[in-house]
Amino acid sequence: MGLNQDKDLIDDQGPGFVVTSIDKLVNWAKSGSVWPVTFGLACCAIEMMHSGASRYDTDRFGVVYRPSPRQSDVMIVAGTLVNKMAPALRKVYDQMPEPKWVISMGSCANGGGYYHHSYSVVRGCDQIIPVDIYVPGCPPTAEALINGIIELKNKIKKEESIIRG
Amino acid sequence: MTSNNLKLNFGPQHPAAHGVMRLVMEMDGEVVVGLDPHIGLLHRGTEKLAEIKPFNHSIGYMDRMDYVSMMCCEHPYILAIEKLLDVTPPLRAQYIRVMFDEITRILNHLLWLGCHGLDIGAMALFLYCFREREDLLDCYEAVSGARMHATYYRPGGVYRDLPDSMPKYKANKYISEKKVKKLNYNRDGSLLDFIKDFTDRFPSHVDEYETLLTDNRIWKQRTVDIGIVTPERAIQLGFTGAMLRGSGIAWDLRRKQPYEVYNELDFKIPVGVNGDCYDRYLVRVEEMRQSNLIIQQCIKWLEDNPGPVMIDDNKLATPKRSSMKHDMESLIYHFKLFTEGYSVPEGNVYTAIEHPKGEFGVFLMSDGANKPYRLKIRAPSFPHLAAISEMSKGHMLADVVSIIGTLDVVFGEIDR
Amino acid sequence: MDNQTLINCLKDKLVGFDIQYSESNDSVTIEVNKTNIVEICKILKSESSLLFNMLIDVCAIDYLAYGDADWKTLDATNTGFSRAVKKTIIPDPDEHYDEKRFGIFYQLLSIENNIRLSISTFTGSDNPPTIDSVNGIWNSANWFEREAFDLMGIQFKGHPDLRRILTDYGFIGHPFRKDFPTNGNLEVIYDEDQEKVIYKPVSITTRPGVPRIIRKDK
Repeated sequence: MGLNQDKDLIDDQGPGFVVTSIDKLVNWAKSGSVWPVTFGLACCAIEMMHSGASRYDTDRFGVVYRPSPRQSDVMIVAGTLVNKMAPALRKVYDQMPEPKWVISMGSCANGGGYYHHSYSVVRGCDQIIPVDIYVPGCPPTAEALINGIIELKNKIKKEESIIRG
Repeated sequence: MTSNNLKLNFGPQHPAAHGVMRLVMEMDGEVVVGLDPHIGLLHRGTEKLAEIKPFNHSIGYMDRMDYVSMMCCEHPYILAIEKLLDVTPPLRAQYIRVMFDEITRILNHLLWLGCHGLDIGAMALFLYCFREREDLLDCYEAVSGARMHATYYRPGGVYRDLPDSMPKYKANKYISEKKVKKLNYNRDGSLLDFIKDFTDRFPSHVDEYETLLTDNRIWKQRTVDIGIVTPERAIQLGFTGAMLRGSGIAWDLRRKQPYEVYNELDFKIPVGVNGDCYDRYLVRVEEMRQSNLIIQQCIKWLEDNPGPVMIDDNKLATPKRSSMKHDMESLIYHFKLFTEGYSVPEGNVYTAIEHPKGEFGVFLMSDGANKPYRLKIRAPSFPHLAAISEMSKGHMLADVVSIIGTLDVVFGEIDR
Repeated sequence: MDNQTLINCLKDKLVGFDIQYSESNDSVTIEVNKTNIVEICKILKSESSLLFNMLIDVCAIDYLAYGDADWKTLDATNTGFSRAVKKTIIPDPDEHYDEKRFGIFYQLLSIENNIRLSISTFTGSDNPPTIDSVNGIWNSANWFEREAFDLMGIQFKGHPDLRRILTDYGFIGHPFRKDFPTNGNLEVIYDEDQEKVIYKPVSITTRPGVPRIIRKDK
């Protein structure tokens, strides 16, 4: 009788101290080194470069731009996504290893923006890939992108990496 | 022979492609024998979209054409409208435009230099170039409110006069007062003082870049005798700007067909000798120095000559907010301007300016409506990129990256 | 060289062709017949007093909706204001175009003499509209003509490599024609079941912001 109660208690509490601590540690490690793949499409790519260059220096946040999708955790879709590019975007996304996140940067990637009514523009890159963080602006300033990255880090920290389902 | 050839796909997502370009290359070992560029991966249909918007709404599209030299792209579009409307902006507005054209030229060349260097392996240069770009983007922000896409030029002048104060850094828990004071040392005066301070130190920065590159053995190995274009071929292929001057033809629209106030300014036009990547590098670096001189002359004139920056015609320019409050006519003008826009007389015009990359032209056709009937943008990089297969044939694969860099392509304007 | 001298010079050199000369907005435009465009261009390039050795731009224009205003008030009493509501026009592949439906503007530049000239010509009497390529005279015409073919559907006879250039792989239609909707006909979306990017009919409707208004008075 008493034993059963204890079992119920454990079930109610969910995973124990050790698991949650490891989970936190893993999430901390993940959020400390979000390496984006340089997926510069248009104007926003310039601001993305600025965020990585001298003044803003995202290296401080553990954000190091990688030229290959195979080595990266997050994809920053920076710029207008057009129909011709959409299959390539999906291919690059599929090539990234799990776990992976997507930041949609700028109004074009968010929903077509200034080019919403064009015959050749994808009205939001979330038609093609799942998006975690939307950064508004045309283009968003480098600070705005950094804010987006920090928001993504907060999101990663709340995720359950080891505890599943 | 052809059975040994290898087809190699380069891009569309490649860090050295300067955006979204796909090259289908035919390789014989390491040597390129055929090359077919696939463009249009950033084709946004700008010219079609401009047809459904009033004239002023499309100025912003021009910024997004060549997104590393924003105001220079607005310029020919504005000139085309002004030519059809037959208006001349005030002299002060013309000087401001010229000054910002040259700031934009430096912006463009800095990005080109940083990325070209990065592609060939000079990492440090990228950080140096972006340090100066930040200062110039601050000028953009001070004058228009936006760091990149300014929409600052308007038919009949510019959006507003140069501001009297610069935005400043503020102290917080991470940056002390003392540090902030040091950061703000050139931001106490007006925008002109800030630009003046920049132009004073910019030549020494260019010296820094040149120390890193000009006599650098690796830089020379990667660029000398790569992608040679003879003057005859350059003309035949429709090259303009630094690509044409690198081949030894002294052609510059600022001097040959002056627009705005370029005929009153003193500057030199650098010309290359061999027409290879290295010569074009030298030409562009010298152009930055010349642009710096032009900016200095403009600052001097602008300091001495205050005045209006927009024509006094309420059919084009917004009436003053104060007059709208008590003047019915101003209110009507404001309403008409913002709901309908202005109608441009029937006709067609081609205007071109010396954009940092070459001749940026706008062909504008109006049928008398408040929207363009047809807008065609002549992008300088378009014929440049068309020549890439001719320039790359017989070179190694790694040289293709040098050639893409030297073309200074930006896909916003090529694909439009 | 000022514009009047240029026109006189052109009249001198281009004898025997049917050409209209006009001067507007500080530039000279000659309107030529499309059948002798190549001959005229050859003369313009080689004649020593002209030497138009650079082709700057080729621009194709669709005149289908020229002078159409959205807000015509003539028949408003019967139909109400047709405020910018576009009727969908489905182009007929065998349609006979107006002889002057498509215009092509060539912008020429002479570096030696520092002069500009624009040539205009019309096509459209045949479907697809055809014109001779000037790629043999100026190599820069290559991509400009490919672009005009892609966006406006003009066939350039004698072009070495006339393929689509800007639009999507497998695109249908010519987007810059006035009867092509700005929104397009198709849009792309990722299909989870097929695990690939697929096309589906466009889901948005045209929403004109500002109607097109023509005002003749200045």
